[in-house]
Amino acid sequence: MQSSTKRMGIMTDVHRRFLQLLMTHGVLEEWDMKRLQRHCYKVHDRHATVDKLEDFINNINSVLESLYIEIKRGVTEDDGRPIYALVNLATTSVSKMATDFAENELDLFRKALELIIDSETGFASSTNILNLVDQLKGKKMRKKEAEQVLQKFVQNKWLIEKEGEFTLHGRAILEMEQYIRETYPDAVKICNICHSLLIQGQSCETCGIRMHLPCVAKYFQSNAEPRCPHCNDYWPHEIPEVFDPEKERESGISKSNKKSLRSRQH
Amino acid sequence: MLQTPENRGLPVPQAEGEKDGGHDGETRAPTASQERPKEELGAGREEGAVEPALTRKGARALAAKALARRRAYRRLNRTVAELVQFLLVKDKKKSPITRSEMVKYVIGDLKALFPDIIARAAEHLRYVFGFELKQFDRKHHTYILINKLKPLEEEEEEDLGGDGPRLGLLMMILGLIYMRGNSAREAQVWEMLRRLGMQPSKYHFLFGYPKRLIMEDFVQQRYLSYRRVPHTSPPEYEFSWGPRSNLEISKMKVLGFVAKLHKKEPQHWPVQYREALADEADRARAKARAEASMRARARASARAGIHLW
Repeated sequence: MQSSTKRMGIMTDVHRRFLQLLMTHGVLEEWDMKRLQRHCYKVHDRHATVDKLEDFINNINSVLESLYIEIKRGVTEDDGRPIYALVNLATTSVSKMATDFAENELDLFRKALELIIDSETGFASSTNILNLVDQLKGKKMRKKEAEQVLQKFVQNKWLIEKEGEFTLHGRAILEMEQYIRETYPDAVKICNICHSLLIQGQSCETCGIRMHLPCVAKYFQSNAEPRCPHCNDYWPHEIPEVFDPEKERESGISKSNKKSLRSRQH
Repeated sequence: MLQTPENRGLPVPQAEGEKDGGHDGETRAPTASQERPKEELGAGREEGAVEPALTRKGARALAAKALARRRAYRRLNRTVAELVQFLLVKDKKKSPITRSEMVKYVIGDLKALFPDIIARAAEHLRYVFGFELKQFDRKHHTYILINKLKPLEEEEEEDLGGDGPRLGLLMMILGLIYMRGNSAREAQVWEMLRRLGMQPSKYHFLFGYPKRLIMEDFVQQRYLSYRRVPHTSPPEYEFSWGPRSNLEISKMKVLGFVAKLHKKEPQHWPVQYREALADEADRARAKARAEASMRARARASARAGIHLW
């Protein structure tokens, strides 16, 4: 490890193409990552055996380490789908957004972020965000304009919109978790199970601990009498299903089912 | 190994590789840079004389220097890494990056080391990502990234999964939009999907989640534009062709696709056909203009002896 070799892993055009495409997409789901990986092999090394995705990623990450970036795996907060993004290991603020957005737009994002973190549900209403436009740094922004900017955030996968309310996209959580925890140490919520940043989740009505929906699903899997891991009181919320890509394909859990789940959590 | 009581606390000097894990404590002392003093110390011991470096004060000074060197080294590495990220992000916008931007946003007061920093960044970009950092304009110090990976054949293009189905779905949507007068309400698009046997939010083995594919991927890749229809309450949204679609495909092609689907000729829809013809004429004109200006530029640069890349 103290040898003079700069990097541990080997980069070939397969890996380079993969990285380029991952950067283009910003964030990808697991099945997309596998498809992309197969595509890169097909283009650059047709006859090689395709590495297991985990090994493939670990190899690339060992090379990326000296650049303070890594391919990071996360899970969507609403339904536990695995996602991947290229993230900065060093704490920087909204740096990846910085070149795509103007100063006042970045400040709008920061304001939305603060409202989301402070909220009980992990969602901030459009109205509440727009009411802050007068406080933005940089060029003056009208509410109409701010609405468009919020849509831009959604399109670029920094925010998710549901019924007029906004929360953080899985990508934003992956990329900014460290920054958020360091910048808002008192306001952030943490999942009792995985100890990561929590924006959306369920909470115990007695002792107040919180858990991500996918963490709840795993923890209480096939448990007829779910109880709070902290205070042992009966867990009052609906237990979601553990995400299973195979199962999804057959039974087709529609998004509309999940919408009603959210309203019952708090 | 230094045995004297004063430096009992010092660990054995280790060779420091280029890898900077960033985890090692600040308290770890001597590095490879200590090789020279070590030799002197060794010689000193043999001769029996007490070298200044053997005293506690001297050892602390050495340790402090080593620490400062290590910090500077780490800082340099970090700056190189930040520059790499900066260049990658900037290049996405497809506009050249200037040296002054790099200094302003990344390099800061390490400006004097710019040549070294940029050389190392370039090497990372080449090895890790397959990009070449090219100086685009020597006078204005602007740079661009060139993709050194082999250019893809048409059938290897990844954009739409490199497979037919996604492209086909996009064509269907572009066709729907075109035939409805260049915009289609969101509801109409979902209706079309259902007619094709798809549920917008249900996982599909070819498309993944179609709604996500359309609303996120196609929109983000600028194949489609998604806009709110003004004066609608509750708000309604509509799709139209995105700028990328306008670049990559023509109205005539899409009309031809729709015509084939219905087993008719494009002329069957006179309004759309006229529009497509006008579009073809526009494109031909634009292409002729672009070619003419490119030829003019090539002539000018050949005369000046400048090679673009």
